[in-house]
Amino acid sequence: MLKFILNHTKAISLVIALITVVSISQLPNIVIDTDPENMLAADHPDRLFHQQVKQTFNLNDAIVLGFVPNSPLFEPSKLSDIHAVTQHLMTLDHVVKHDVLGLSTVDHVTHLSPGEINFERLMKDAPDSLQHAKAIETATLDIPLFIDTIVSKNSDATLLFVPVEDKRYSYAVAESIRAFIATLPSSSEWYITGLPVAEDQFGTEMFIQMAISAPLAGLMIFAAMWLLFRHVTLIVAPMLVALATVLTTMAMLISMGFSVHIMSSMIAIFLMPIAVVDGVHVLSEFADRYRVGDDVNDVLTGVMASLFKPMALTSITSAAGFFSLLLTPIPPVQIFGAFIGLGIILAFLLTILVIPIYIAHLPTSKLASLPKHHRSKSRTNRIIASLSDIAINHKVLSLGLGLVAAGVSIIGLYQIEVNDNPVKWFKPNHEIRIADKRLNDKFGGTYNAYLVLRNTQQNATMSQLTPPSPPPSLSSWLSQIDPDIDLVSLLIEIEDYLFLSDSIEEAWLVSFAENVEKEKEKRQVLLKPQTLAAIEQLQRFLDAHHIVGKSNSVVDIVKLMNREMTSGQQTDYELPRSAHAASQLLLQYQSSHRPHDIWHYVTPQYDQGLIWLQLTSGDNNAMSEVKTAVEAYLLANPLPDQLEFSWAGKAYLNVVWQDNMVGGMADSLIGAFIVVLLMMIILFRSVLLGLFAMLPLSISIVGIYGVIGFVGKDYDMPIAVLSALTLGLSIDFAIHFIARAQSHLRSSNNINTTLAYMFTEPARAIVRNATVVAIGFTPLLFAPLVPYVTVGAFLAAIMMISAVVTLLLLPACLCIHHKVSLFRTGGKYEAI
Amino acid sequence: MKQFKPALRLFLTASLGISMSSAAQQHSANEWVIAAEKAAYYAGDTAKSQARMLIVDGQGRKQLRQFTLLRRDIEDNGDQQMLVFFSRPSDVKNTVFRVEKHKAANASDDRWLYLPALDLVKRIASSDKRTSFVGSHFYYEDVSGRNTEDDLFSILKDNDDVVTLQAVPKRPKTVEFAKYEVDIDKTTLLPISIRYFDNQNDIYRKVDALEISTIEGHPTVTKSRISDLKTNGYTLMEFRNVTYDLTLPEAIFSERSLRQPPRRLIK
Repeated sequence: MLKFILNHTKAISLVIALITVVSISQLPNIVIDTDPENMLAADHPDRLFHQQVKQTFNLNDAIVLGFVPNSPLFEPSKLSDIHAVTQHLMTLDHVVKHDVLGLSTVDHVTHLSPGEINFERLMKDAPDSLQHAKAIETATLDIPLFIDTIVSKNSDATLLFVPVEDKRYSYAVAESIRAFIATLPSSSEWYITGLPVAEDQFGTEMFIQMAISAPLAGLMIFAAMWLLFRHVTLIVAPMLVALATVLTTMAMLISMGFSVHIMSSMIAIFLMPIAVVDGVHVLSEFADRYRVGDDVNDVLTGVMASLFKPMALTSITSAAGFFSLLLTPIPPVQIFGAFIGLGIILAFLLTILVIPIYIAHLPTSKLASLPKHHRSKSRTNRIIASLSDIAINHKVLSLGLGLVAAGVSIIGLYQIEVNDNPVKWFKPNHEIRIADKRLNDKFGGTYNAYLVLRNTQQNATMSQLTPPSPPPSLSSWLSQIDPDIDLVSLLIEIEDYLFLSDSIEEAWLVSFAENVEKEKEKRQVLLKPQTLAAIEQLQRFLDAHHIVGKSNSVVDIVKLMNREMTSGQQTDYELPRSAHAASQLLLQYQSSHRPHDIWHYVTPQYDQGLIWLQLTSGDNNAMSEVKTAVEAYLLANPLPDQLEFSWAGKAYLNVVWQDNMVGGMADSLIGAFIVVLLMMIILFRSVLLGLFAMLPLSISIVGIYGVIGFVGKDYDMPIAVLSALTLGLSIDFAIHFIARAQSHLRSSNNINTTLAYMFTEPARAIVRNATVVAIGFTPLLFAPLVPYVTVGAFLAAIMMISAVVTLLLLPACLCIHHKVSLFRTGGKYEAI
Repeated sequence: MKQFKPALRLFLTASLGISMSSAAQQHSANEWVIAAEKAAYYAGDTAKSQARMLIVDGQGRKQLRQFTLLRRDIEDNGDQQMLVFFSRPSDVKNTVFRVEKHKAANASDDRWLYLPALDLVKRIASSDKRTSFVGSHFYYEDVSGRNTEDDLFSILKDNDDVVTLQAVPKRPKTVEFAKYEVDIDKTTLLPISIRYFDNQNDIYRKVDALEISTIEGHPTVTKSRISDLKTNGYTLMEFRNVTYDLTLPEAIFSERSLRQPPRRLIK
């Protein structure tokens, strides 16, 4: 095959170059998707419900804009800044203007006399005197709905909730607000946070990061290879392979219509080091074998003959590790796994095509300068020498160490805390993290969860509503009515007919209308005193919870209106005694300047209600804690009237995909483990060797996760995704080691000779590879975004650790296997 | 603009009526406004009708308000009394809206809402007159009519059938619109379309007369729609059983009727 390749170098090079150029032409079609919500499939029930809730209650994702001045807030200059910012918001595209919540947009309701109230904009104009500013402060603190939501308890800070038509506009709107705030004297006292802007901003910064990290990773790999081979011309070959692989894979992804999500943005950075691995093996072997005067093609043939099988196998197993991500129920992770898997196969093909062609075409003068340092006492060699000493001379010790490390790590595994928070994807000194901390310290919380209450009572059917024995003259009219008609439309139908009807029909129609009215009222559960009382109690429980900073519901509006309509005194801040009273109070609120506010908490049919929970933490485990607490409370204190509750809101949705991720990753890890183990057993034709091949990577993975557990680093999205794929990466070393030991043993027939050989060229290749890949990931350590740092550190660690563990443990394993085979065959030697 | 004296106003209205038939003379914007006000809000000396509002939000969700409306004019284009008795839905049944319209200089209309479940008479502050009328897209002020003295009118277009006026508020701080335009039908003198503009000069609110019938000689809007173009919600108002010039004693329009509605009249 190599002959064929070397005979058709021009054609092959041309085809590869052509494919790469075509690929580059596809790149501008890139569609970027930065929405973590897409971690859930578009038809995931929780996601559909979340979207439905947003529609039912007219909710939009909101940017949280905080103002925490260093001097008193209720003072003309500060308030006029707030007013100016609010007015600026009203000029911005994609801002849902009528829903902007802040001092300048809300209404204040004043009790004048019993039944006489006045709705007034809390701050229609910026105050011109301190007295006026103080009056606004008093008025603000008078409305419980505002406290901890738009004004801090001690009235020294304020929040503006800025809903955007779609969260993908969050970053652009936030940037525009930032630009405007920069022109204000109080510019340093403003803060912007909220999940939508954090997520959208992360997306934006992520792509900048991708553009910096991927080329930087390439540069680092180049430098690492230069250190190992000291031969620029030679190491250009694997770089070309890596470049062609990354470009073609990304082009495939883009041209197949997939959007580039947070996960797939990392494909380039993942593929770059993996793609050079095979190349490093070839170069390493070639450099070790080639002597000046040798026929290049002969040496290449030898190199490829001994490397083809392990390279093919490692590529397949690595690809299998990534393909196992297809087992997760998370679409972006599936795409990520699938395309890296394809990329690895592509890299393998390109390596066996491009690198021999490249080397064969180098002038012999270039090859003459190949470094010989690898035969000298380089640092790599010193490390390998000390490793070989332990591995060969202290087999029991190394095996024991490995098992003890695994045992300790398992304790660490139990310490692992599953948690994530998109805001924490930024480093602590990022403006969003600073804003997040400042505002959540001051207010009831900038993270939203919704507790939705729904009436689940059986609705009366058309036939149940129809009074008995309808007048015969009405039968044709009755039969025309759609049985699924809504009650309001039905009432209108009846009324219209009533207008035309005679007196016999009238009595019957009136009772029909009464039935419909009764049914309508029955469904209005959110007006009933016992429902409102249950919500009030639930909110009391919520407000006492340490993570819930504040909860708001229709109860707060009803109580406020009751107070203002009756006496204006705090003693009347209570629920009315009848459903009609609640309805009539809410009707009064609709005469405010923000009548639509009610429909964020109840539907116009009063059959569904929503409690808005402000959470002070966006950690998924904080949300889970609230969820567990509320569910326990509702089990002990069931809701009346067959009301059912469900969760929605961004904070909740993040928990859902995290749960999916954790479960999915476990499946994927187990799946990958089984597939790779089976491949090893088939490859080495031995269950024992197959298991031994899995040992180094198992200990490495368990070890690293153990450390994560002990250190207290949260098991978050990047860590979860990495678990399965490290398996595919780190099996490479074991395959190379065992495959080459096997083939050497066949000729040496002496396990000790073979092990000694293994610590020459094969060990060098393994250490070189681990180094190149580890160094390749190091630029990620300096990324400003935490998930990139995690991925970089994690992968560099897993490469180094699994290389070392492979070299330390496998010699002992091979000896055991050797003895077992000798025992089985009755002392007669048989090649492993 | 100085308040017209009642006599002068009567005279103007009368002359306008005459000139309509001759249909040759040019009229000032204010003459059109007064004629339209009379046609829309002062037909007959008293009026009674049944009304229904279908309130539809941006998502197509419906609410119903059904009521009987009684009106008594003290003087055409002048003071007026109005009562609105709600019969549906059951949770607002027996709610009553009462208006005392005052046209004298510096006087403002009085509005009350009786809430039976709370047994409270709510006085609607003057500053709240441009807020939602019982949850609909109509404002309290739309029900009884905005005082023509509050805006400055000018003629925008004058066609054969329709004259379009532009109205600019005299006190912009008291209203949410920057200006509005009214189309007045020259035959019926009824305003058939009103468009409200915001500060960005975009139409955000629109009233349309959908059906006009002549009842007892008075052209009457029997179906109209007010649309909120920002939320895509609208309210459809329909009038039925409209009768004019029936005997409605002044006593009916007192506060007493809030708690004790005249059953005979609102049946």
